[in-house]
This record gives sequence, C-alpha cells and structure tokens, in this order.
Amino acid sequence: MKFINLLKKELSELINKQMILSLVFMLAIFFIMGNVMKSATSEIVEEASSNKLSICNMDDSDFTKDMLEYFKSNGSKIDLITADEGDLASAFNNKSKLKSYVVIPKGFGEAVEKGEKPEVLSVSKVKGAAALSNMSSGPEGTLASITLYVSQKLAEQQGITSDQLKTIESPLTITEHTVVADKSAQISMSSIVSKIMMQNMLLPIVVMVLIMMTSQSLIASISNEKIDKTLETLLSTPVSRGSVITAKMLAAAIVALLNAAVMMIGFTSYTKGMMSSMTADMTSSITDSATESVNSLLSTGDALKQLGLQLGACDYLLVGIQLFITIMICLALSIILGALVNDSKSAQTMILPIVMLVMIPWMVTMFTDVSSLPTAAKAVIYAIPFTHTFTAMPNLMFGNTSVFWLGLGYQFVIFIVVMFFALKLFTSDKILTISLNLGQKSRFKKSSKTNED
Amino acid sequence: MANVLEVKELSKQYSKVLAANKVSFEIGEGEIFALIGPNGAGKTTTIRMISTLLTPTSGDAIVAGHSISKEPEKVRECITYLPDEAGAYKQMTGIKYLRFMAGLFVTDIEDINKCVERAKNICGLGDRLNDKIGSYSRGMIRKLLLARAVMTRPKLAILDEPTSGLDVLNAIEIRKMIKKLAAEEGMSFLLSSHNMLEIEFVSDRVGIISKGHLMVTGRTDELKERYNAPNLEDVFERVVKENEVH
Repeated sequence: MKFINLLKKELSELINKQMILSLVFMLAIFFIMGNVMKSATSEIVEEASSNKLSICNMDDSDFTKDMLEYFKSNGSKIDLITADEGDLASAFNNKSKLKSYVVIPKGFGEAVEKGEKPEVLSVSKVKGAAALSNMSSGPEGTLASITLYVSQKLAEQQGITSDQLKTIESPLTITEHTVVADKSAQISMSSIVSKIMMQNMLLPIVVMVLIMMTSQSLIASISNEKIDKTLETLLSTPVSRGSVITAKMLAAAIVALLNAAVMMIGFTSYTKGMMSSMTADMTSSITDSATESVNSLLSTGDALKQLGLQLGACDYLLVGIQLFITIMICLALSIILGALVNDSKSAQTMILPIVMLVMIPWMVTMFTDVSSLPTAAKAVIYAIPFTHTFTAMPNLMFGNTSVFWLGLGYQFVIFIVVMFFALKLFTSDKILTISLNLGQKSRFKKSSKTNED
Repeated sequence: MANVLEVKELSKQYSKVLAANKVSFEIGEGEIFALIGPNGAGKTTTIRMISTLLTPTSGDAIVAGHSISKEPEKVRECITYLPDEAGAYKQMTGIKYLRFMAGLFVTDIEDINKCVERAKNICGLGDRLNDKIGSYSRGMIRKLLLARAVMTRPKLAILDEPTSGLDVLNAIEIRKMIKKLAAEEGMSFLLSSHNMLEIEFVSDRVGIISKGHLMVTGRTDELKERYNAPNLEDVFERVVKENEVH
C-alpha cells in the first residue's frame, strides 16, 4: 500500500501535461513525415510505372515516324517535347513537370538505315538538393524503348530473327543463390540485405529511446528530490529506502515503455508510408522478361526462413530479456548519477556518460561488424555493456548463439555490479552527503582565495 | 516522566571531521528540547542521526524504545522530521502532498483522512491547499510542512529551524502550536534554532552544542542562573567562547 502510494507519486511526477503533449507531438511528426514521404515516393512510382515517353523529335525521316507509330501502337504515350535547338533547357520552361527527355537529332533515321551508330541526346534536370526531388527513373524508359526498336531494326538488316537477338542480348540464364552460415536459398543477396536492414533498423532506435528516456527520468527524479530538499523528508518516513528506489525505477521504466510504444507506432506508420510505395515501385519497374524469373524465385519471407534468418518466438523472447537487462543497467547507472547531482545544472549534464555509452556502440554496429575490428578496438567496444544489446538481434539471426549468451552473461554481471554500488550508495549516508558539483567547487576555490587575500 | 528519546554517546566521524562527539541527552514525554549551537557545531548531524538518515560512527539513541542503529524502520514510525530549508513537491497541490505523506505513515483510508483533516486545521492555508505548491510562498510551504510533521501525532517531532522563513506573527502562532501540542497531546519535540528568543519562549530544556560537543543541558532559568546571565543569548555566548578557549 505504501509502495503503491510511492509509485503513484513518482508516476504523477513523470506523466504530466508536457510529457503527454510531447508524445502527441512526436506521433504527429511521424504521421506527417510518413505522409510527406508517401506522396513524394508515389510521384516517383507513378512516373516510373506510366508508359510515357518524352521525346523531342528533330528528325523528319520515315524511320523515326514509323518508330513513334510503333511505340503508340504498343500502348505507350508519346509526349512530344519542343525545344529550341542549342537551348535544351527551354523544354523545361514550357513544361514545368518535365524531369527528363530524349532528343532525336536530325539524321537519326538515316544513320540507322545506313547501319551506323546513331546519336541521341539524353536530357535530365536537377530539381533541388533534396534526395527524393532528383529521384526519378530519368529518360531510361524512353532510351530503352528506342534502343530496343533500333536494335531490332539493325538485326533485321543483318537477317537475325528476334529470338536470336534476345539470346545475343542476354546469353546467360542466371539464378542467384545466397548463402548464410551453412544454409543457402535461391534469392538475390540484395533483396535479403534490404529486408534484414529494414528489420534491424527499428530495434536500435527503440533501444536508444528507451535508454535515454529511462535514464533521464530517473536521474531527474533523484536529483530533483535532492535539489528541492524533499529527499531527507522522504527518507525519514517509515518506508524502506529499497522501496523508495524501487518505486522510482519502476516509474521510470513504465514511462520509458510508454514512450517506446508511441515511438514504435509512429515509426511503423512512417516506414509503412515510405515502404508501401517503394515496393510498388520495385514490382512495377520489373520488365516483362524478368517477371518469369521472379515467379520462379522464392518470396523474401520464405527465403529468410530457409536461410534461418527469420527470428522465432524464442529468439524474440531472448531479445526481450536482453532489452530488460539493458534497461536495468541503465536504471542502476542512473541512480548513481542522480545521487551525484546537487544542482539543476549538473542534473542536465549527468546523462552524458550514458549517452556516450549508447551512441558509440550504436554508431559502430550500424556501420560495421564489431568482430571485424582490430583487437584493441573490439575489446573497448565489447566492454561497453550496451554493445551487446545492439548486436543481440544480428547474433541470433546469423546463428552466433554463443556470442549472444556471452554478451547476455556479461550484461548480467555488469548489472549486478552496478546495482550493488547503486544500492550501497542509496542505503548509505552518501546519498545525502555525496555530490559532484564542479561549479560549486570552483566557486569555493575562488572564495577561499579571496579570504586569504 | 518516561523518556521518549535517550541519546547515548552518539558520535559521527566524517572523513576528517568529528561532527558529533559523544553527544548524550534525553527528552521526556511532552517535553520540548532545543539544541542550539553555532553554524557547523553538529546540530544537524545529531538530528540527522536521530532521524535515521545518517548512521552513527559510535553510540546509539533510543526512540520510544527502539534503537536507531538496530531498528531504524521502527524508529521512523515514531518520529517525523522537518529539515531546515526543506521543500515540497512543487507540481502537487497542498492537499495531495498531505495525502501522500500521510499515506507513508498510515495505510487505512480513514486514518489518512483524519491526518489530512488535522493538517488542514493546523496549517490554516484554507482553499490555497487546492493550488499547486509551486505557487506557494516560502512561509506557506513552511506552514504546510509543519502541519505535515505533526499531523500523524508522532511520539517525537524533530524540527530543524521550525520558524525559518515565517514572519513574526506566523512564527508566534507556530510556537504557540508547538507548546499546545506538547502540553495537551503529550507530543515531544526536538528543535534546533538560531533564534534564542524563540528557544527561551518555547523550550522546556536546552542543550548547547559546540564543535561536536554537547557542552551543557538544562532548563533556561537554571542555565541563566548558573552563568549569571540576563538571557539565553548571553549563556550561549559564554558557553561557546569557553569551548573555544579550551
């Protein structure tokens, strides 16, 4: 009953109007970002999937006319562009939505008929600095259609049938296989890698948020009690120091979980918005010839299962346990850091050690494989307990179970050690007497100097 | 008169400083005892040890039959402690704060309500109790904390500088309240204060502490007579100066 009273007080301190407002704000940002990305990517997809060929025809030969007629009869829309000769930019002035076009110069048809290699101009416009603003399939679609038509005509001239031409163009039948550990599956490596990346992107971000939020709220909770001089009163009441600290830890963990849940919902809706149009893009851009081979391929999900990369319920449970121990380490560390605080300024900087301990392994594991680092660097990175949280999922995925268990064991030992010191600190006199107050120290030095004067 | 507090040779050694050196005194039921001394004399250290916030290096104190070193949790059930310059949770309303603090001493809802009702009457903050503590003045916070310290009817209320931050009229009111609670309800008080006038008016006995030593204890009139001084301030000055000479 007394514990619930304490927990309620801690929760009411952490869950306030500002906190709820920031959660709503965070969700709104994700939602808006998701929609912006969706509309931006869907524009690109639309462009890629439409059979629109942007051509500026400057050649009046019969060959070119026939070619354009052929494109039309095959269901392509021809967008005839007018551009001044010598001023390729003028076409974009006339059509604001135009991103790229192909110029068929004078003498194009003549060159083909002579069996020469004709020249075409491919024109694209840089629209802005943003990544997605320039993301377009460019004039490739138009160029591919022209190339196909011209090569067919050239083949006809040489007496080669269209089937023979196809064989010449792609003489090899390639089936891609990807190997992970001792298993292999018939799938291209790039599709496996992109799927794994998507899966492994969300967890580290959630871990980051969880660690930051929990530490920040627990440090603030302890330091505020010290700064506002409420800690002494609280510790002189008939509740054990253990229950005071447990209530604080539990409240911080509950609030962090709440934040993580909101973050996950927001992030999922954001990636969904982006990825749904991206995958549509992928399927639409697959040409007819490739469709057959795609059908024969495994679906990515099945391939992941076959390669042993799909995590089972047991693996997720292990990741959950590791996450729990990570949070416990954070909480224990935060008790120590919170106890060192004596003024509001130092309270804000106290989270820095935890930020460093999280950022370093996060960055390292994002860009490289820790086991491939030089021995000294590897030892340093592995010594940081949070590294093992970031490597947990890949380790389980790639079957490095012994490395996973070692990491988990190491984190458990670290937790026991840090918690021991945290409890010792909180249950001793030190919680009231200890302080790491660099600002005050320097002021003290200053005043003692003036006294000597 | 049974003793509510018996302090037996209580000492506290910080890394280099001996903050309290074999301090011994006792407080009877319904008695108001004041610990006075210059800054850094060891008043707060002694009070913090009795409140079980600090563990003594040696010696012990028995509060209502419970040892502060062996049964600190039992001791905390019998005492309330109001630290000097203590604050309250700013985002809570006054009434919520009282309810929260009462809930740490008693668990029954009816008992909690009784405590809160009593505190409401004592602090005299009226409707302001429904406002957040962050909007209170220093004096209002002190009144709230004082009401909190006595609402649970502890056997021993330990008040460090009880009237600090209060204006004259409010301070007088608080002193009267302390005397009334001791006389009518048999509540014992351990006070510490710099205000000699206050001590002379409110306390039954005083203890003068200097450099960690409890120099002298006694009733104020006894001490005035012993040191041939017109008031407690002069007694204090002489005792402290004597200690400096030795």
